[in-house]
Amino acid sequence: MSSGAPPRQKGVKVLLHGAWRQFAGGAKEVALEAATLHDALEQLAVQYPSLKERLRDEHGKLRPHLALFVNDEDARLLGWEDATLKDGDTVHVIPALSGG
Amino acid sequence: MAKSAMLLVGTKKGLYTMRSNDRKKWTVEGPHGAPAPIHHASFDPRDQSMFAAINSTWGGSRIEYSRDLGKTWATSKNPAFPQGSDRTFFQTWHIEPGHVKTPNVVWAGTEPAALWKSEDRGETWTLNTGLDDQPSRAKWTPGFGGMGLHSIAIDAVDPNKMQVGISVGGVYTTTDGGKSWVQDNTQTGGPEDRPDVFGCIHKLLAHPKVSGVRFMRVHLEVYWRDPGETTWTFRTTGLPTKFGFSAAMHPHDAKTAWCIPLHDMKRTAIEPGIAVFKTTDKGATWTRHDAGLPKGAALESLREGMDNDDFDDPGVYFGTANGDVYASLDEGKSWDRIAQYLPYVVSVHAATLQ
Repeated sequence: MSSGAPPRQKGVKVLLHGAWRQFAGGAKEVALEAATLHDALEQLAVQYPSLKERLRDEHGKLRPHLALFVNDEDARLLGWEDATLKDGDTVHVIPALSGG
Repeated sequence: MAKSAMLLVGTKKGLYTMRSNDRKKWTVEGPHGAPAPIHHASFDPRDQSMFAAINSTWGGSRIEYSRDLGKTWATSKNPAFPQGSDRTFFQTWHIEPGHVKTPNVVWAGTEPAALWKSEDRGETWTLNTGLDDQPSRAKWTPGFGGMGLHSIAIDAVDPNKMQVGISVGGVYTTTDGGKSWVQDNTQTGGPEDRPDVFGCIHKLLAHPKVSGVRFMRVHLEVYWRDPGETTWTFRTTGLPTKFGFSAAMHPHDAKTAWCIPLHDMKRTAIEPGIAVFKTTDKGATWTRHDAGLPKGAALESLREGMDNDDFDDPGVYFGTANGDVYASLDEGKSWDRIAQYLPYVVSVHAATLQ
């Protein structure tokens, strides 16, 4: 990590909801160290490689129908993947409701 | 050992599996993968693998495969366009097990239109650059349902000889296993004003036993090709409408095929209702068959909606948009509804287990 990047925070918790659990072998809660939401998702994919292609397309773009929250806040209001994380933050990975 | 039949029925809400020992009484299991739409699912008679195109759902589209007849499924590594490409894999339209002479090869067609080859029984996929580098690819354009490669017709004898069908991009032929391709759109007897991309191919089938025999359902025509021919022979005369999607070829008689004509704008059967049309002379004449089908029903059967098994007396099957599956055990003359109240049926693939 470059010197200008925020430091990785211990005690970040990622909660996988609904369909996202099946892509991680049934895992519901993952503990990791991460500086930003992007970093958390990267760390998550390291622990569960099967999540990598489910989270992003081949060009690295996050897939649609994916909602991300940091604690109780919609990540879109926090800078999306640039959102910085604090020790003890909880990241929610949620299948966005869509379609019929 | 006695044969049994299994239908892989892809719907707009998951994959259903239907099984029967006598092809009269059927059990239905599913859905797998719901709520994802399943454009196509197929069975590989070489090793009894099953494949499912699970599309446009959470986590994106993916291909899954099963090695235990559907008890458990694993996910393929996604088809992936190269870095720097302006295209992104959106969904899979067709999965075609390879020739018996190429035991680990499986092919897939996707949207955006591209051909993918797996050499490890469907676990990973490689873009076929021979087709992708065709200059004429610039002319391909989306049809009403998107721009996909949906037909992969492998010759019965020589796996190096294949055609692919693209909506809307026409037919391409390879004779070297996919290293190089040529456009293959010359027809005889049909409209004179076909563009070189041949309009919108709806379904292109290779006969499974006789080398060189092809049956092709195009947007407003059907065509036949015999061994040694290099053009497509117009065989639409005798059908009540020019339009349709579903098509199947008799596995033991290389002159017989079935199709379901639809209204070209409504995309449903016309009066007096859904019917299967059969030819026994390579499309020169067509006969209407509707015994057992609901009278007056404006049903719809899609591109992958029809198939046949490989019994000595082959069963023919098709699914409809209102969630029915029909079967014929007399080569299309009469039909029985073997499933109803399924979600919108997108694809039917018939497997013969023995």
